[in-house]
Amino acid sequence: MAVMPMKRIAIYALKNRRKQILELIQRRGVVEIDDRKADETVFARMDTVPAKARFENNAASLQAALEALDKLEPPEKSLLASLNGRDPIPLSKYEETAQQAGELLKTASRINVLWKKCADNRAEILRLQTQIRALEPWMKLDISMRTLGTPTASVFIGSFPTEYTEETLRAMIAEGAPEVDGVTVEVLSAAAQQTCVFLMCHISQGLKLETYLRSIGFTYPAEPSKTPPADRVQKLNGRIEALQAEIDGAEAEIRTFKDQREAILYTIDYFTMRTEKYDVLGRLWQSTHVFIITGYVPAENADALKEELETKLEAYVELSAPDENDDVPVKLKNNAFAAPVEGVLESYSMPGKKEIDPSTIMAIFYYFLFGMMLSDAGYGLLMVLGCGIILWKFKNMEEGLRKTLTMFFYCGISTTFWGILFGSFFGDAVTVIGKTFFNADVGIPALWFVPVEEPMRLLLFSFLVGIIHLFAGLGAQFYQLARQGKWLDAIYDVVFWYMLVGGGIVYLLSMQMFADMVALSFTLPAAVGNAGAIAAGIGAVGIIFTSGRASRNPGKRLLKGLYGLYGVSSYLSDILSYSRLLALGLATGVIASVFNQMGAMPGNNPLGVVIFIFAFVVGHTLNLGINVLGAYVHTNRLQFVEFFGKFYEGGGRKFAPFTTKTKYFKITEEK
Amino acid sequence: MEKFDINTLGIVFALVGAVLASLLGGIGSAIGVGMTGQAAAGVVSENPTLFGKVLILQLLPGTQGIYGLLIAFLTLTNIGVLGGSAEITFAKGLLYLAACLPMAIIGLISAKQQAKASVASIALVAKRPDQFGKAMIFPAMVETYAVLALLVSLLAVANIGGIAV
Repeated sequence: MAVMPMKRIAIYALKNRRKQILELIQRRGVVEIDDRKADETVFARMDTVPAKARFENNAASLQAALEALDKLEPPEKSLLASLNGRDPIPLSKYEETAQQAGELLKTASRINVLWKKCADNRAEILRLQTQIRALEPWMKLDISMRTLGTPTASVFIGSFPTEYTEETLRAMIAEGAPEVDGVTVEVLSAAAQQTCVFLMCHISQGLKLETYLRSIGFTYPAEPSKTPPADRVQKLNGRIEALQAEIDGAEAEIRTFKDQREAILYTIDYFTMRTEKYDVLGRLWQSTHVFIITGYVPAENADALKEELETKLEAYVELSAPDENDDVPVKLKNNAFAAPVEGVLESYSMPGKKEIDPSTIMAIFYYFLFGMMLSDAGYGLLMVLGCGIILWKFKNMEEGLRKTLTMFFYCGISTTFWGILFGSFFGDAVTVIGKTFFNADVGIPALWFVPVEEPMRLLLFSFLVGIIHLFAGLGAQFYQLARQGKWLDAIYDVVFWYMLVGGGIVYLLSMQMFADMVALSFTLPAAVGNAGAIAAGIGAVGIIFTSGRASRNPGKRLLKGLYGLYGVSSYLSDILSYSRLLALGLATGVIASVFNQMGAMPGNNPLGVVIFIFAFVVGHTLNLGINVLGAYVHTNRLQFVEFFGKFYEGGGRKFAPFTTKTKYFKITEEK
Repeated sequence: MEKFDINTLGIVFALVGAVLASLLGGIGSAIGVGMTGQAAAGVVSENPTLFGKVLILQLLPGTQGIYGLLIAFLTLTNIGVLGGSAEITFAKGLLYLAACLPMAIIGLISAKQQAKASVASIALVAKRPDQFGKAMIFPAMVETYAVLALLVSLLAVANIGGIAV
């Protein structure tokens, strides 16, 4: 368990080596660059914002092209592709990409132009289709919709907002405008909301007719076509076809770039890396000939990097220990057993200043507690197999995912272990199958005991685990304080609590009443109990006198001390909190049994076997899912709240080195 | 007329207890998971990559229903409804009913309250996906009380059989 020691690094070099040095640091990925002040009369910073913006635009344009390409030619992707991680590419390939970048950008912008054309055309087609739909009610009309009349006749082409037939219209005109006669009425289309009509009368009576028509809601069409509607529709359809043909052409052209997909991916990564580099470049202090890089480097990488920079690239490198006030980033280094829980730790917080890396101690308890909550050999084996196979098959997996899966792999081992102790294999599957289908009375005997039969025993064991867990947390606090030389604090804040809580528990165990209450098979001798009580007393007094040591006022100090003693109630609730180990452990087993019994209900016949298999697969998948989630959440809770509450605050900043943050490929060094 | 034997009511009360445990726990979880599901769907509509995280947060208020089922099942087994003889005295029937109540009532209320905490945590994760670990703890705090209720109901149901009433 270790927080890696960090060193401050300062690199001074000539400007003509700048590109090489930056690229080397980026590839090594071990330096976090920070902003330090420099003498501004000599040094200045370069404005890299425009260059960065250009690279970002390039990457965005390539990304857009990629999306267009992927829509038309979806790349083959298996379900497990996400497990695969990024493909490694050699450095030489990266340099090759750099040369082709200009060419590819042209390709990308061509794809983008074509894709935009497609989008525009689709919008236009939609617009034309709307127009066609608007013309549909007028299709019977075989003259221009804008016809107003001939030298001797007035023509009205328009619509009413209600449904009329020719007869009703004629009747209405005869009644409403009796002086107008000889009106031709033709209904072009009629619907509940709209009646389109063609009306004609002698020119001398046109005005009167129009006045009347308007009074009953006649309106001229909003977009009358110059040609007869049928011709117009034909023309619009022709345009749609032309647009569609253009879309097809553009899409076909985009498809021809299919083979360049890979190259586009390389180039996106290339520009992402350059953006990153220019970001750093903008933060460097540079004079006419010299530039400075400052930052942090893990101590174990420091010398190799110094050596490489100094011999190969003629830089001058200065390494120094960070001082008290530096905001040193945190990088964890753990063995294969503890490293998987780093992700969980990180989701809480990285260790703060002067704190230890709790990964190892946390890993032991994490696997232990998780296994106890899930506690089924069948589920454990499934987890081990599932995670194991994936880890073995996908060697190139991303680091974070690999850690998580390894964590569940270990949790699976622990789950299997507890399952064997508690005699649970897919609940009571063996017993149920034996009884239902083979008429045999078989079962897996529990190596230790069966929790459903002796819940009290498991409850007590859970409390014991809790006490050990909490005391381990206190122990970590002791170590942390002792390491800083704060021995008195270590005694006040840790040893007194050990005495109070530990002594109290010993005293309880010596009482016959408590033993009866929890059905304990033994009681400690009275002398041990008394010793425990005395220790607890000393602890309590110690806590009263030392908890308030920050205050000078004696009265305030005593009150604070009493309040500190009140903290014992939090130990009580902390220990009780471990009862979830029992609750969740029982939940897994009991629900598994429910599914087994449900499956076995139809009995021993062919249909019964099918139903059993179905219930078994569905039921146990569900149960496994729910309980893995439950075990995960509650293990985290016990770690974060109960365990970390004793010693760990976090607040550290994660080490974020200047490196190649590529999206699609991992660049490897060739040796 | 045959004299009415009050002990025939024992099994009725015991069964009412079992049913209440799964009923109220289930109702609470259904409401809770429904609430969190809506919040989660909203987040995923903006940022589909958060699906895994908000799914976990969505499922947190779902456990009360399972605990309820657990108590119900244990009660059903103990009172002999699932095979065995279903002879429960009136007093024992009431005891089983009482034993189921913590899980039933606390299951219902804690699931709803946990859902509220979960919804807030989903909003937290939507804004700061890196704080998932902490976001998960807030709803898990509420769950503690469901776990304690489960424990009391569980121990009670498991031990009533041994009481001579």
